[in-house]
Amino acid sequence: MIKYLPTHEYARIEGNEAYIGISPYAAHQLGNVVYVDMPEVDDTLVKDEEFGAIESVKAASDLFAPLSGTVTEVNEALVDNPRLVSDDPMKNWIIKIEISDPKEVEQLLDQEAYDAICDAEHKE
Amino acid sequence: MTHLTLPDTKPRRLPFFLAMEEWAARHLPAEEDYLFTWVVGPTVICGRHQDIAAEVDLDFCRKADIDIVRRRSGGGAVFANADNIMVSLVTADTDVERAFARFTRTIATQLRHLGIDAEVSGRNDITVGGSKISGSAFLHLPGRSVVHCTMLFDTDAETMRRALTPARAKLLSKGVTSVESRIVTARELMPSLTRDALREGLLSGLTTGERRLTEAEVAEIEAMAREYDREDWLWRHGRDHGAQASRTMRIESAGTMTVRVAVDAAGRIADVKLSGDFFERDADALAQLLSGLRGVAPTAEALCEALRTTDVSRIISGLSTEQFINLITNN
Repeated sequence: MIKYLPTHEYARIEGNEAYIGISPYAAHQLGNVVYVDMPEVDDTLVKDEEFGAIESVKAASDLFAPLSGTVTEVNEALVDNPRLVSDDPMKNWIIKIEISDPKEVEQLLDQEAYDAICDAEHKE
Repeated sequence: MTHLTLPDTKPRRLPFFLAMEEWAARHLPAEEDYLFTWVVGPTVICGRHQDIAAEVDLDFCRKADIDIVRRRSGGGAVFANADNIMVSLVTADTDVERAFARFTRTIATQLRHLGIDAEVSGRNDITVGGSKISGSAFLHLPGRSVVHCTMLFDTDAETMRRALTPARAKLLSKGVTSVESRIVTARELMPSLTRDALREGLLSGLTTGERRLTEAEVAEIEAMAREYDREDWLWRHGRDHGAQASRTMRIESAGTMTVRVAVDAAGRIADVKLSGDFFERDADALAQLLSGLRGVAPTAEALCEALRTTDVSRIISGLSTEQFINLITNN
């Protein structure tokens, strides 16, 4: 199950865990990513709060947590090769967390609702 | 677009204006775009993910009283002073490509109105005859974008070059590195144009109304600006690896020596490590010598003073105190 925040982060939810990254729309917007600022394993995430940042050749953006939880893994490959996010943002997640409040999932956008936001943003 | 203005004209440090952008993005109505220009005293502004110690000559900046700030937008390090006019746009357009293009095209058009043959180059530069006069950076905030650019009226090329040329090994950098550009200034292109006329001309005809910040709002912005001076923000890539200089020197009488100097946020020596094939005469004295340098500025004068009563050759065979100081200061 993949859910989104309006700020373009996704959470791919598998049981009690979630892989968090940025959407293909956001990756396309940003262009080549040159740096991903990630939290550390065991750091605590609070839903909708900043957990890191991403910088591309075009822009710097904060990363917001789609869900609350504890970081169980960070994608170390991004340290040396941040461009992986640009190449395939769904495959190249940024962090993996253990979800602390499964009810929060209901507050996230499903694919259709998220796509509608992207469309609106683009046409604006 | 609305011209965002201040209730007074007192000089302010760069963090204030970055906070002003962010304050506008978070508090002013999204229906309007906000535009303002600003200038600061001599400041080096690093990109969000840059390793400051690898981008900036900290020693030079300290001596020349140049402020060092890390911005939240991306990109490379730039040098600003009163002759580098900054333009900030706060917009609800979150489409990076479009917001960026609109901003750079608008600024280039304003320059052309002033008689400068400017064009947009690449994604975020404005150039004249292939040389850069303006560079832009972008910050995404939820539902808003901040786009800002530099505009060179004039430049102190020597200070800029020295401030941005690191004395320490850039190879240690773990962040985003700066790219040097060939630059041109408005003054070179149009000697008759004054700084004020350039600054006014950049916004002339673009803004339809004015939004003046109140004293209370300025106080809120000042509080936000303090975040930029937090050690953990400024030195986020800093002290451990970035602010560490490493160099190797061959000193005939003593051997090959590699020195690693870590510098703290205040620019003072935090740690010195010495390795190589030299012969130490007194291990305890060497440990004491190195630990005694903590807190001392890594300059020849400060080290001379700190080592006034020390004869290094009694601790390391064949190495004079002067050579030891040279090793640390890279002379």
